[in-house]
Amino acid sequence: MNTIPLWFIPLFPLFGAIVLGVISLVSSSSEEGAPEGITGTLAVLFPFLSFISTAVFAWNMPAEGFRETLGSWIDTGWFSINFGFLFDGLSRTMLLFVTGIGSLITLYSVGYMHRDRGFVRFFSYINLFLFSMIVLVLSDSLPFTFLGWEGVGLCSYLLIGFWNADQKNVAAANKAFIVNRVGDLGFLLGMLVLVSIGGSALLSYPELLSLFAGADLSAMVRENIQWFSLAGFLIFFGCTGKSAQIPLLTWLPDAMAGPTPVSALIHAATMVTSGVYLLARLSGMFAVLPDVLFVIALVGLATAFWAAVAGLFQNDIKKLLAYSTISQLGFMFMAVGVAAFDVAIFHVFTHAFFKAALFLGAGAVIHSLSGEQDMRRMGGLLKKLPLTALVLIFGWLAIIGFPGFAGFWSKDLILERLYASAPVTGPVFYGVALLTAIITAVYMTRFVILTLFGKYRGSAETEAHIHESPASMMIPMLILTVGSAFAGFLWAGLIPGADLFKNWLAPVVGAAQAMALEGMHGPHLSPWIFALLGTLAAFLGIFAAWKLFMRPVPQTKEDTVPRGFGGDWTFFFDKLHYYCVLVPVRVLAWICDKAVNPFVMLIQWFIGGIAEILGEGVRSIQARKIRVQVGLSFAGIILVLALAVFCGGI
Amino acid sequence: MLLHFLTLAPFIAALLMVAASGRDSKSAFRLAVVFGSIFAAASIGLLLRGASITEPMEWFFVPGANITVYYALASHGFSMWLVFVSCLVSLAALVAGRDSFEGNYRNFAIGVFALLGAMNGMFLAADAVLFFFFFEAMVFPAAMLIASYGGAERKKAAIRFAIYTLVGSAPLLMGLWYLMTLAESSAPFELITIMLSLPESTRNLLLVCFALAFLVKSPIFPFHGWQAKTYAEAPAPVSAILTGAMSKAGIYGFLFWGLPLLSSDSLTSIFIWLGLITAVYGALMALRATDAKNLLAFSSMGHLGLAMAGLFVLSETSTPAVLVLLVAHALSASALFILIGAAERFAGSRDLGKMGGFVKSSPVFGFLFGFAGIVAVAVPGTAGFVGEFLVLLSLWNAGPLPALIAGICIVLSAAYMLRLIAAVIFGKPAAVRGETKISAAEVIAVLPMLLLAIYFGVRPAPIIDALAYRESPESVFEETDSAADEAEENENVQ
Repeated sequence: MNTIPLWFIPLFPLFGAIVLGVISLVSSSSEEGAPEGITGTLAVLFPFLSFISTAVFAWNMPAEGFRETLGSWIDTGWFSINFGFLFDGLSRTMLLFVTGIGSLITLYSVGYMHRDRGFVRFFSYINLFLFSMIVLVLSDSLPFTFLGWEGVGLCSYLLIGFWNADQKNVAAANKAFIVNRVGDLGFLLGMLVLVSIGGSALLSYPELLSLFAGADLSAMVRENIQWFSLAGFLIFFGCTGKSAQIPLLTWLPDAMAGPTPVSALIHAATMVTSGVYLLARLSGMFAVLPDVLFVIALVGLATAFWAAVAGLFQNDIKKLLAYSTISQLGFMFMAVGVAAFDVAIFHVFTHAFFKAALFLGAGAVIHSLSGEQDMRRMGGLLKKLPLTALVLIFGWLAIIGFPGFAGFWSKDLILERLYASAPVTGPVFYGVALLTAIITAVYMTRFVILTLFGKYRGSAETEAHIHESPASMMIPMLILTVGSAFAGFLWAGLIPGADLFKNWLAPVVGAAQAMALEGMHGPHLSPWIFALLGTLAAFLGIFAAWKLFMRPVPQTKEDTVPRGFGGDWTFFFDKLHYYCVLVPVRVLAWICDKAVNPFVMLIQWFIGGIAEILGEGVRSIQARKIRVQVGLSFAGIILVLALAVFCGGI
Repeated sequence: MLLHFLTLAPFIAALLMVAASGRDSKSAFRLAVVFGSIFAAASIGLLLRGASITEPMEWFFVPGANITVYYALASHGFSMWLVFVSCLVSLAALVAGRDSFEGNYRNFAIGVFALLGAMNGMFLAADAVLFFFFFEAMVFPAAMLIASYGGAERKKAAIRFAIYTLVGSAPLLMGLWYLMTLAESSAPFELITIMLSLPESTRNLLLVCFALAFLVKSPIFPFHGWQAKTYAEAPAPVSAILTGAMSKAGIYGFLFWGLPLLSSDSLTSIFIWLGLITAVYGALMALRATDAKNLLAFSSMGHLGLAMAGLFVLSETSTPAVLVLLVAHALSASALFILIGAAERFAGSRDLGKMGGFVKSSPVFGFLFGFAGIVAVAVPGTAGFVGEFLVLLSLWNAGPLPALIAGICIVLSAAYMLRLIAAVIFGKPAAVRGETKISAAEVIAVLPMLLLAIYFGVRPAPIIDALAYRESPESVFEETDSAADEAEENENVQ
């Protein structure tokens, strides 16, 4: 049936990364760099091949999926893990949009990175990123997923700091990597807990999840349930790092220092959603851990609300989109927290389209305004860049949940499941989430007003250069725009029969969800009521924003960093990290350096005393002739030995 | 034969280098690289052949104590990998040093070969006296190399290094001598048998004696005073050998002479905590270091602390974990030291503040340095990850807190390594003095090590499987430990 093995899917971008990396290195000494035509084609070709092979697999997939073991990775006898791939309903869905949107954004980048000296290097990193992301999604065990997990983190680091001549970008890259490392520590320890429960076999998804299959939990699971809870918490902590949730979310806004296509691909559509993916992948385990699920829901809710409010204060176009990404990820975590794993992945899917469209649109705006990112110096672009404006408007309608657009369907399902999750907390969660949806509509409408409406507020010089993007950028944007409009119909809750997406995921998460839902007896309402309230939230938000922001924007020379209350709110977690983590570490390091080290030097001093005495002697034979010295030293050591032997013997 | 060759031939090579012309450093370089390659190939041969042992030859007789000292060599999973690492790192240092020792290359090569012979001998020795002989013999060529080719304070650093390590190993000598007089032999097996029959207080005293030498050699907190200065002042290729190969002597010593002496869990946990404190201390000091080589020295110290903590957990995974970690550390740390040597040449200083932007002036250097840094951060897919993951797994057996602390060290290691990368290759180009390009020799020296680190990261089986042979030290200890337990029980019964 299948003529190619599964590992071809990640192989293509890996090969691409190596080929482009070598080209980049070889051409690094020349002034011009490698020709963009050939390298650009190669850069798009490999992700696209990967997409095609994914599509072939997706088409031919039997209901239970494929599993393929490549070989042993680490095997010390009792601890053994393999390189293995698992292609099932969940990885199929994720891979299709990861490789699909990945190919589109790579194509976009060919236009965006035109004439950049690091053109080839950029695409080498992008291909490496896609390789890691595919491994993350396709792996059949936690350690192998972790390889992809840290791999995407590494590529994110490389790409945030892509323009590395500026230490500010490098600092943002370092921050992203280190904050993610803190989360990864949770992931690592979570794996260790699982190993200590049942050996390395539990690191493989099918083996782990088979423990939780069936109506009744086995005695082994019941005995170890608190350990499973601990593992669940730790792994969730890992997810808060990668998916920028409280408390590890500070790196994502800074990550906007990277080129805009990177923000679209890595920091919006794919990498940051891998936390949601991992939780869905382990849905069977989390379904029996209600405490962990409750924490996940709380964290998601708090993050969504906090980031939405922070979005109100942003003036930098990319920062605003970054906070909106954090907020939307919060919605996904909320869905996971009420065991609505399929809905969470559905929101991952629709979000990938509309957020990628928004970011690419923003990139096109920045590109045509010669690098301007401050929205207060934009405006009136509806007439100057009509096609790009169309992209942004569709993305905007999708994210605020305008009826019919992609975000409407997925957000609606999340709200519905939240409400039904529990008798008391369910409606409370629903209320806060609905409020967050209103705020989302407010700040996104502000975004559209500031960029597209009103008068152009930038300098006349940049105004003269405003132009629509080239076709290589426009085509991917338009495809994603179509996606933002229609991707939601794969699972339109209100239309009977439009639940293809749900059926795709059902074999993977269905059983776990059913099990978790047994414990949840929340109130039920007609889906039409939720749809109505959701629509009202969107309109209310638009209306409020229209009243608040549809007015002339004063000219300003200051930078985009929010100040006052906005600044305090935005940088709250940065400050928290600073005082709770950075300062203690620095103080400890200072103590080591200034207090402990002198003590160590005291020991040294005693030895040094001997050195001083012997030093004179050594210095006198410090002849230039190494031969003599080596000979002498051997003679010396034999002498010492002989003496010791002789004395001891007596 | 291979064992004899690997131990003795480097000394012969050193002598042959003496015969080479001192003026013509090119021919000396060629000769040295040929020798170095032969040793590296021989060490690969050793890996392929697996555990082996030589016929003991009588070396000398100690009349008073009735001890015959043998020249006997043995290789087993652990030691053959360390021999491989020493040969590889020495070859890399010989290659990388091509342009750094104007005119004096020959003498540099002599020192490196003498050091290599001593290291191989130490790892392969199957006799207590022989082990100690080589353990000490390592110090002299290393000190000479530092004193002759190091930085501004090289002589002070060399003397401090030599004295510190020599003084540190004096207790080792006393301890070994005491055991030998008891056993009337210097064969390790008999010594260990005697060790196990000793009362606990004597064993503890011996353990302290041995530990002092090995703690200094690794070095482990608080006996690391010599290290930062030595690594910083030594020429980069020599630092690469010191950290890549010689620092493993301490861990190796603990594995063979320290572990059998352990008599109680509390002692074990003292060593685990010493290792962990070293790991934290090294990481914190590396965070503050302003001298690039100091930073790398503290980073090495941290990694070795982690290795020691892992070693003393004594679980099924700990020996393979430590071996993989040591090999991984050797590959990445040696590569980084060689590269930082190039950076020092560019900037004319080791000060991090005076470096920066080298990726612009030398993209190949930037690539290699970034690559080596990322390998050192132990991203999955590199050998370091396999080592750190297995060490964490072992430490988890000792309790969640040790595992958590080790994990925090791994996070900190990312922090200081990224700081180093950012300071050296990123940012505004620093004022470059002299040449701006990395030499081909350095590229050839570093690249294979980094590729090997990736290879072992994806396929650590060659390293891990080497320990599955019967010569595995762990199994020896398990047997002897259980024998000791039985002996104790018998005593109790009586």
